[in-house]
Amino acid sequence: MQDQILIEMKGVQKWYGGYQALRNVDLTVRRGEKIVLCGPSGSGKSTLIRCINRLEAIQQGSIVVNGHRLDDSIKAIDVVRQDVGMVFQSFNLFPHMTVLQNCMLAPIRARRISKTEAEATAQKYLERVHIGDQAEKYPAQLSGGQQQRVAIARALCMQPKVMLFDEPTSALDPEMVKEVLDTMIGLANDGMTMICVTHEMGFARQVADRVIFMAEGQIIEEGAPDAFFRNPQHTRTKQFLGEILAHH
Amino acid sequence: MTPHFGLPEFGFLMRGLQWTVLLTLVAFVGGCTAGLIVALLRTCGRTTVEWIVRIYIGIFQGTPLLLQLFVVYYGLALLGLKLSAFVAVAIGFTVNASAFLGEIWRGAIQAVPRGQTEAAMALGLHYSSRMRDIVLPQAIRIALPATIGYLVQLIKGTSLAAIVGFIELARAGQIVSNQIYQPLLVFGVVGAMYFILCWPLSWWGSRVEARLALAAQR
Repeated sequence: MQDQILIEMKGVQKWYGGYQALRNVDLTVRRGEKIVLCGPSGSGKSTLIRCINRLEAIQQGSIVVNGHRLDDSIKAIDVVRQDVGMVFQSFNLFPHMTVLQNCMLAPIRARRISKTEAEATAQKYLERVHIGDQAEKYPAQLSGGQQQRVAIARALCMQPKVMLFDEPTSALDPEMVKEVLDTMIGLANDGMTMICVTHEMGFARQVADRVIFMAEGQIIEEGAPDAFFRNPQHTRTKQFLGEILAHH
Repeated sequence: MTPHFGLPEFGFLMRGLQWTVLLTLVAFVGGCTAGLIVALLRTCGRTTVEWIVRIYIGIFQGTPLLLQLFVVYYGLALLGLKLSAFVAVAIGFTVNASAFLGEIWRGAIQAVPRGQTEAAMALGLHYSSRMRDIVLPQAIRIALPATIGYLVQLIKGTSLAAIVGFIELARAGQIVSNQIYQPLLVFGVVGAMYFILCWPLSWWGSRVEARLALAAQR
């Protein structure tokens, strides 16, 4: 069970017009695994995770999520998106809905569960991210850190098999980074499969099973955090780590 | 006794006002319904459909409304479809409004941040739910000031309906004025009636706009 493959990307190529964003990417993620993706901006790390729930289409290669091959059919995209939760850099909460409504909408519409059940689930996950008392507020009334925790709860309400995080702390004021990272660490400790695009190397050390370094649309190097940080193999990795660790 | 501006004349103007209001309502409700379809088709992501709708919008925005009313009233009659003046102008104004409102709402739909749609897609929401629950509620707020502005234009624009013999407020004013030879007085009253209809709407529109600007700052 622990070794079951949840996501398998093979030979994935992605172009934006003439620009190649992903070059022959292979990635296998097992159930329960925590992966941190890092790399300079424009290296394709966000694009990679956005391909997993088909926010971006790929031109070549294959992606299989939880046994379902992702193709162009609406059915396949549906099935995969039900299994994959995503948290964005800019939160993307629905501003015209309360926190509770934000969390209830997708389970009601996409999973077709009852309102009562959706509300109970929403409340449960809001409490889990320590924001249960803010359920009736609108996103604009919350701090950035609180909004991002709501976004995490909203994704969890769909009971995904894997969570994708696209630079979840990059848009936050420094004093709010910790509360979001703590939430993510809690999630990791509960056994959630996670792929995180982040520059928080402390988080990577603490949580990741594997750290993957990308540059120019390719996976350059990967390894367990210890080895990765202590003994990076490629010059580009060394250079990147040198730059990023100097700032932390 | 020379004719003067009395109760019967005023009553005649009031009936004209009623027709103006009725025509506006029919055209606005019809235009909103059709305009929503236009806006959705215009943003559906299928190139062919979007181009067809673009041409539709182009035709109705690029030719005079007067001409469009002629075509509906006289053109359809030539084809054997004889419509009453009211039905003809109601159709003409509805179709015209659908093009203008469609463009206003197309802009509003596209002004909703892309991240909203992406978050909805990532949550597994389908197109209908993404539009109904996420995009349109936000787009309507964005489009409200421009929509109210268009409604004000529409109220005043209905005076064009007189051209095919429909007696609305402006035409009623002309008739009364011709009878009593007091154009300044009659058109003064007519103008005041239009003003009472339009001014509160304009005022509401600018209030909504100010409120939205304030909300955007937060």
